[in-house]
Amino acid sequence: MVQHPHSLTRLALAFAAAAVLLSGCPAPAPRPSLPSPPVPSPPATGASPSGRPPPSAPAPAPRPPAPVRENHLSPATRSLVAQAHTLLARGDIDAASSTLDRALHIEPNNPLLWIELGRLRLVESDAHQAEGCGRRALALASGDPATQRQARRLLADALRAQQRNQEAREVESQADIIQP
Amino acid sequence: MARSRAPRWRLPLLIGCIALLAAIAVWVVYLDRVVTREFQGRHWSVPARVFAAPLELYVGAPVAADDLEEELRRLHYRSGDPSAGPGVYRRHGGAFDLQARRVRFIDELREPTRVSIRAGSDSITDLRHADGTELPVFRLDPPVVGSVFPIHGEDRLVLSPADVPPLLRSGIKLIEDRRFDEHHGVDAYGVLRALWANLRARRVVQGGSTLTQQLVKNYFLSDEQTFGRKATEAVMALRLEAHFSKEEILVAYLNEVYLGQDGARAIHGFGLGSEYYFAKPLAELDVGELALLIGLVKGPSFYDPRRHADRASARRNLVLQEFADAHLIDSTAAKRAAASSLGLRPPGGSYVPAYLDLVRRHLKRDYAEADLAAAGLAVYTSLDPRAQAAAERALAVNLKRLDAASRVRGASLEGAVIVAEPNSGDVVAVVGGRDVGTDSFNRALDARRPIGSLVKPAVYLTALETGRYNAATLIEDAPIELKLADGSIWAPQNYEHQVYGRVPMARALAESMNLATVRLGLDLGLPQVADTLQSLGLETRPALNPSLLLGTVEMTPLEVVQVYTSLANGGFRARLRAVRAVLDEHGRPLKSFKVQVEAAAPPAAVYQLDRMLTLVTTRGTGHDAAARLPRGTVVAGKTGTSSDTRDSWFAGFTGSYVAVAWVGYDDNRATGLTGAAGALPVWADTLAHLKSASFQPVPPELVEDRWIGFGDGLETTPACSADAVSIAVPRGTVLPGKPDCTAASSGHAAAPTGTVTDKVKAWFNTLIH
Repeated sequence: MVQHPHSLTRLALAFAAAAVLLSGCPAPAPRPSLPSPPVPSPPATGASPSGRPPPSAPAPAPRPPAPVRENHLSPATRSLVAQAHTLLARGDIDAASSTLDRALHIEPNNPLLWIELGRLRLVESDAHQAEGCGRRALALASGDPATQRQARRLLADALRAQQRNQEAREVESQADIIQP
Repeated sequence: MARSRAPRWRLPLLIGCIALLAAIAVWVVYLDRVVTREFQGRHWSVPARVFAAPLELYVGAPVAADDLEEELRRLHYRSGDPSAGPGVYRRHGGAFDLQARRVRFIDELREPTRVSIRAGSDSITDLRHADGTELPVFRLDPPVVGSVFPIHGEDRLVLSPADVPPLLRSGIKLIEDRRFDEHHGVDAYGVLRALWANLRARRVVQGGSTLTQQLVKNYFLSDEQTFGRKATEAVMALRLEAHFSKEEILVAYLNEVYLGQDGARAIHGFGLGSEYYFAKPLAELDVGELALLIGLVKGPSFYDPRRHADRASARRNLVLQEFADAHLIDSTAAKRAAASSLGLRPPGGSYVPAYLDLVRRHLKRDYAEADLAAAGLAVYTSLDPRAQAAAERALAVNLKRLDAASRVRGASLEGAVIVAEPNSGDVVAVVGGRDVGTDSFNRALDARRPIGSLVKPAVYLTALETGRYNAATLIEDAPIELKLADGSIWAPQNYEHQVYGRVPMARALAESMNLATVRLGLDLGLPQVADTLQSLGLETRPALNPSLLLGTVEMTPLEVVQVYTSLANGGFRARLRAVRAVLDEHGRPLKSFKVQVEAAAPPAAVYQLDRMLTLVTTRGTGHDAAARLPRGTVVAGKTGTSSDTRDSWFAGFTGSYVAVAWVGYDDNRATGLTGAAGALPVWADTLAHLKSASFQPVPPELVEDRWIGFGDGLETTPACSADAVSIAVPRGTVLPGKPDCTAASSGHAAAPTGTVTDKVKAWFNTLIH
């Protein structure tokens, strides 16, 4: 009935995005030899999906109070996010989206999940919704600089996908200057 | 002589015979065509089936052991040995072992799965695969809540050959058509036998129709009993047998056969019959249940097990006896089954017309009515049956109580409730009136009423957004008269006809002061307030009369929920969603409705407002809410009462849900109820049943918490003032302090720390001391 005329394009995009997502997945790959970290480590690569290296920030700006929150995924949502990544790598965007939906029902206020959802919306070429997710994540990440950085990066990508480059640069510069 | 006369009548007779034969041949060929064409491309009319959201289980999920068992029973899992087959669970205290059924979700088809679950007195504590490995998350079956069938339409669940249990296959032949495997569509012996039996009994006791004839009758023909129709039926049956296999005909019969009536809904086929009478998949029926269904074929209304249990029971036992006589089952099994109860599922229960109404409206944007009624779609909704039941009960109980206490005689109060999850916009419950079982007027979606003071948060949010106001800002509650465009004078009053003078904004909102709000709103500008309402989610721009500020704008409960979702969501508008996805008849995704969020208002301003709305339920007009909720639960909300108490509203949110309740009369007469007296108990009782978490928004970095005197708005400490309340203001805001009371030399170091819950507890403590 309803066919996806661009299914091939979507598939290709999905693979590309899955590669990006997997590299930035907040669920660490099992590393039995290492002591398990107390929380899933933030993306270690720091690779900005936009391709530009994050400028170093030597800004001696007044440091905000120490982070009061550190967001991480629960075992349930972590497994769902991993499942969504697998589905996405297979090109099944709809199923990946439904799986992230499940995670969001379990932890609706977790900014990391909104970032995941926003990244998926970018894959779907829905930059407008990706922007919504980015802003939602940013609001929820209050007090958690690491997560805020990820949210700003998503937001900048979403804005750039809408040709709003100036706004994107502003968001990125906030990410670099305000946050340590 | 005779010879010479013969040609005179023989020729016309011959011509007549040939013409008749030719006509019969044409007729047979025509029927053959009809049979092959229609049956070849047979497409069962399968209404869209609607599923509720599955219950998610994970360690920490707020599902107690008893809740879990209740949910399993709702899904018609039975207690027993889970290794026996799907749909069975075993419970020992808080430990559950179960075998989940084969079930299709939006994103996967899950084969039968065995899991072990441990549940405590309030949550899930452990979740494992059958082999003992950890299972991070597991969902139960999505409950079926109905189907979108046409008026006077057929409802069915189509079986494939593999879905037909062997006993059904042999049993239906035994009871309805013993010689099915031998005959060619029409059974001469059967007809003679039926004739003989009927003659002996001097009434119709047996029909001679084969399964094929019954199928033809149901599938191709009308219900009239004429000789011509009987002949057509016989010819079509013969042609059907000539073209199709016995297997195809049998399975088609099992899908077509009529098994009962549920109001306007006709129950067709054994698949749906099994679900309708027993709420189980066909594969899980025991011998007695299967015998009852097979027995029903003879007369679904005469043997209706819900209305004529004795007849149905006798019919079932007769069928069981025949099974035993034919050695399909052994006689002890037959006796045991005959001694058991009919095993019907309790009637009603899961039927939710008001919610289905919303589903239908959402789907109408994308699907034709005909597709919904016939194309076999599967519709996955956000409905949470537990929330739905809680809302239905809260409304029924409170309306009954309010009616009993009311002085209005001869009229019953009506009401509506909608519950949603603010983050996703998922609508989890819709109650359209006190009569939940019927498709009557759906007040939740269609009752458009003045919202009264529910509008006020939009006025105060507009003020906070300007940056010129904060929760402690003093505003003037004083009489005001306005000359309207039509020349009349508008002089609003406070509900208690009092005047309060200069009050902090937080108190003006909490106590729902009309004069202060009108003055504030006029200062801000009506267009600005209307803009705020629209960005929060109101779709039509309200008329810009000053009375807008007191809520003369009319909205449906659904529209109110949309607006309050943005407040519950930290300033993000989540589009309300009843349908998550639609799958086609083969389980392929057709359409999914994604979570949609957009920025609606600045998060910092919304946070300040939300903190003011928590004061409504602790210090203000909504303080009765606390008594109905688990102790210490923080909620935010607003009462609303339209002029002359025609409408009683409450809208508000917890950490998990946003909900609105409305109470009023359909004929719009005065109720004598404020929002706090009418709608608030309905709202609070609904949320109390849902084990809702406290409202604990993430504080934006741009704001900080401070204590002020609720009456005078001066900065203070709980130790210093009995009426100290916690508010949020932009970081670094200078607040005038109470003399001798500011613990802070630095201006704002007295900011209380901790969660909102802590602050509420601290406030409770100030009351006690």
